Amino acid sequence: MSAGSDVVARLLKALPKAAAATPVKDYPTVRLAAPTDLLLAARLLKDELGFTYLEMVTAVDWLGPTSMSGFVCRSNPNPLSRKPAAPPLAPVPGPGVNYRPVLDLLWSFGNLGENGKVFLRLEVPRDRAEVPSLTGLFAAADWQEREAFDLFGVRFAGHPNLIKILTPDFLKGHPLRKDYVHAKDQYDEE
Amino acid sequence: MDTMFVNLGPQHPSTHGVLRMGLTLAGEVITKAVPDIGYLHRGTEKLMEARSYAQCVVLTDRWDYCSAMPNNLAFCLSAEKLLGTQVPPRAQTLRVVMCELNRIASHLIFLGTYGIDIGAFTPFLYVFREREMILDLYEALCGARLTYNYIRLGGVASDVDADWISKCREFLEFFKPRVDEYDTLLSFNPIFLARTKEVGLISQSAAVSWGLSGPNLRGSGVSYDVRKSEPYCGYEAYDFDVPVGEHGSCWDRYFCRVQEMRQSVRIVEQALAKLPEGELSAKVPKIPKPPPGEAYAHVEASRGDLGIFLVSDGGAAPYRIHVRAPCFINLAILQDILVGKKVADVIAVLGSFDIVLGEVDR
Repeated sequence: MSAGSDVVARLLKALPKAAAATPVKDYPTVRLAAPTDLLLAARLLKDELGFTYLEMVTAVDWLGPTSMSGFVCRSNPNPLSRKPAAPPLAPVPGPGVNYRPVLDLLWSFGNLGENGKVFLRLEVPRDRAEVPSLTGLFAAADWQEREAFDLFGVRFAGHPNLIKILTPDFLKGHPLRKDYVHAKDQYDEE
Repeated sequence: MDTMFVNLGPQHPSTHGVLRMGLTLAGEVITKAVPDIGYLHRGTEKLMEARSYAQCVVLTDRWDYCSAMPNNLAFCLSAEKLLGTQVPPRAQTLRVVMCELNRIASHLIFLGTYGIDIGAFTPFLYVFREREMILDLYEALCGARLTYNYIRLGGVASDVDADWISKCREFLEFFKPRVDEYDTLLSFNPIFLARTKEVGLISQSAAVSWGLSGPNLRGSGVSYDVRKSEPYCGYEAYDFDVPVGEHGSCWDRYFCRVQEMRQSVRIVEQALAKLPEGELSAKVPKIPKPPPGEAYAHVEASRGDLGIFLVSDGGAAPYRIHVRAPCFINLAILQDILVGKKVADVIAVLGSFDIVLGEVDR
């Protein structure tokens, strides 16, 4: 992974406050220090290092294990078995995991010519999750940022059309946040 | 000039599922196109946060239900990276065989339905005859025809016997001349060419910027295939070409798929010839609890670059899973390229992307 470490070195040189992060397994990963660094890093990747392919935009909510209150997960009995259905699996906090009220945003860029890939990540507070939009540089950011907005409530400043994309209009809240509680609607059975 | 608003879908034979397109027309020309998705959103990413890894494999089948094997594979590769599992060689080869057969089956659906979109009904009947044979092979293998749950953590679920292999070889021999038949039936049919050859052009730079992948990207002349760029399951040992198109038209995307079927046949033949003996699966605990960490694995699924980003916090269920769904990302470009086109071309362009709404909405 010599090419990968070159990319990381270039990024760290341009952004003194950024740091090499614990890698997403086997891929070079850089942690940005502030939202303002994102556009700088993306421009550097796209214009000078050949990473013209925005592969993925997503987020991780580090609040803690998924809240099971309101989680629709009915146990599924086996009609051929006398045993009762196994109860749904309720996630428990993992020991030694640093749960904290942040959204960990993640971008992955690809260099199609040299088959390189690099991950950028950035932590933002859950209640003020706002980062610049990459739609000006990569058209692929359009729907993927809308998805992160819809499911996580991240605001992408400068996005031309930041509206819901996957969830229905009546749904309140952001389902992939760990504290999301499903409110009963017309489609629930009971 | 007066404009008119037309709702295409959500129930329309040409949208291949529940997709709505809000089209604003000035006469016959489209001035604005707004794809509206989410009708099939089942929140599988959230569902997986309260299910064990083995149960998650079942859910992966439901994304791209026309080609479920690569979905199984992408998830398992990612989870195996977290667990540090080494998959035995026989399972690796079987995974390649099944994924390539699934690519053929999936491209056959595309050929048939795209023909119908354009107005050619006959090829649909031919391709379903061939697809049926692949589904029969799958049924003999794992009992399912659509949602297989065949590729499991650490390996595969069941073995192939000599009878299965000879039936598979029979199918390949039967199938090879059929591809030439499709060329005479559909690919070089003058009406079909007139409807698709100059329609829906996407330049190389636009295709890359919009993040297209799979045959849609290669149709624009970008030779990018995960099987070559980041080989998994031993793809580096197979001899195959990556077909690319010239102009990025609907026909180029279509013809890429036709040529890919020939390459898939080559790969399956090579895999069957060298199928190693040995274990079917590595030892994986019944309820695996990967150590805390993050992994990303992607595969060249039938419809493009399918990536799975997995986060584990040491629990029995994934802490977070993100699906890089190729159909979802491929569909976004429609709002851009449909503007200025005639309304009659909408179906030709939409069909050429080969979307499966199960994967768009997840």
